[in-house]
Amino acid sequence: MSQRMFKADGLVLRTRPLGEADRLVTLLTGEEGKFEAVAKGARKMKSKLAAGVDIFSYGHYTFHRGKTWPVITSQDSIEQFTWFRDNPQLYPYGIYMGELVDRLVSGEEPCTSTFNLLLEGWRLLGSCDDSYIICRSFELKLAHLAGYSPHFHSCSACGTAGASKFSPRQGGMLCTHCASADVISIDKGTIAIVERLISAPLSQAHLIRLSAGQKKTLSRLTSAFLAYHLDLGDIKSRTLLKEYNT
Amino acid sequence: MAYPAPLKKLVDVLCRFPGVGPKSAQRLAFFLLRCPREEVVSIARAMVEAKDQLTFCPDCGSLAEKEACIYCNDSERDRLMVCVVQEPRDVLVLEKTGQYRGLYHVLHGALSPLDGVGPDELKLDRLVDRVKESGIQEIIIATNPNVEGDATAGYIAGLLRPLSIRVTRIAFGLPVGGDIEYADELTLSRALDGRREIT
Ligand SMILES: [Zn+2]
Ligand SMILES: [Zn+2]
Repeated sequence: MSQRMFKADGLVLRTRPLGEADRLVTLLTGEEGKFEAVAKGARKMKSKLAAGVDIFSYGHYTFHRGKTWPVITSQDSIEQFTWFRDNPQLYPYGIYMGELVDRLVSGEEPCTSTFNLLLEGWRLLGSCDDSYIICRSFELKLAHLAGYSPHFHSCSACGTAGASKFSPRQGGMLCTHCASADVISIDKGTIAIVERLISAPLSQAHLIRLSAGQKKTLSRLTSAFLAYHLDLGDIKSRTLLKEYNT
Repeated sequence: MAYPAPLKKLVDVLCRFPGVGPKSAQRLAFFLLRCPREEVVSIARAMVEAKDQLTFCPDCGSLAEKEACIYCNDSERDRLMVCVVQEPRDVLVLEKTGQYRGLYHVLHGALSPLDGVGPDELKLDRLVDRVKESGIQEIIIATNPNVEGDATAGYIAGLLRPLSIRVTRIAFGLPVGGDIEYADELTLSRALDGRREIT
């Protein structure tokens, strides 16, 4: 990381205006982790860089190490995710996946697995019709990569087998004796689904069929689990997922 | 560097302007200090006057001097056509073309889930109500040609679909005066999509 020039393949997680006509772009790369870079003049209509530094871009980028941020010197598009044009409902899903990754990856350490997960998630949004289940599997897999997975086998307080309440705070099950007020009741079928969503490839998540009740439990479980263990605070795009879909 | 308190306060205030960082703020502050007092007063007065005398049109959201804006008040304009834009300044740019004679609808933003801006924040139901209440026949969506602007355009089109009016998106093409070889592939592919017959 000491040369003046470097290259990386990256996914654009977010962008914000900088100065008169520039953009500050948050990129996720496998090798160099997550970092911000400047796209000079990218807000001008005639900028050749503009299209390739917008959110949902996947490209080869070259950088020049600048004083504060690396400056993007060239961009070559590998893939543009455009499903949100035909299906605006997918827009907040794509943004949400990017925001989760942005919050979870803290800096410039290699994060190839996370990079591949997001790339696959964004690809699947376009090819798969069940964005809800892809999103839940994506959340659980991301938490798993960060070292957190729910444990379902026995009561995490006393060890009793066959516990039926999930405690997001404990990250595991509690039996009826040990259960606190914030537990979520979960049946064996739903536990099996959660386990499959973590272990099966993301591309197979859409094969899982959920009942309305299971869907509700799954939403509560993932939301509370992420909130407790990933310390992500308020995720704005998740709130909007609900607004879009009502 | 230790600033005298009034200078520090001025720099802090100037930093709140979009696109102005501490360095530019310092430059602006020293500019003001070098100006004659009357000039500083007239600059400050212009800001307050603009703020006091300008408002946003309750019907279309454009910049207005009185209640309704000059576009909504103009009986010569085509009231069956409404152009949807993100910002009040976009109206001024479209007016400069001299080509558009319909009305406007200013969203004051675009759908941006990362900033917590969703359909409710843009008050998109107001646009739907406006279409329902008037005889509008065509909505031209002129949001920015980027991800946020396109997602917003798609969402609005979906909202208006049940009303069976004509909804169009302004065309995306190549920048005038440029060479094709310098166009990026996304712009070029959308220019192909938006091609038209030469008559
Ligand atoms: Zn127990
Ligand atoms: Zn008006």
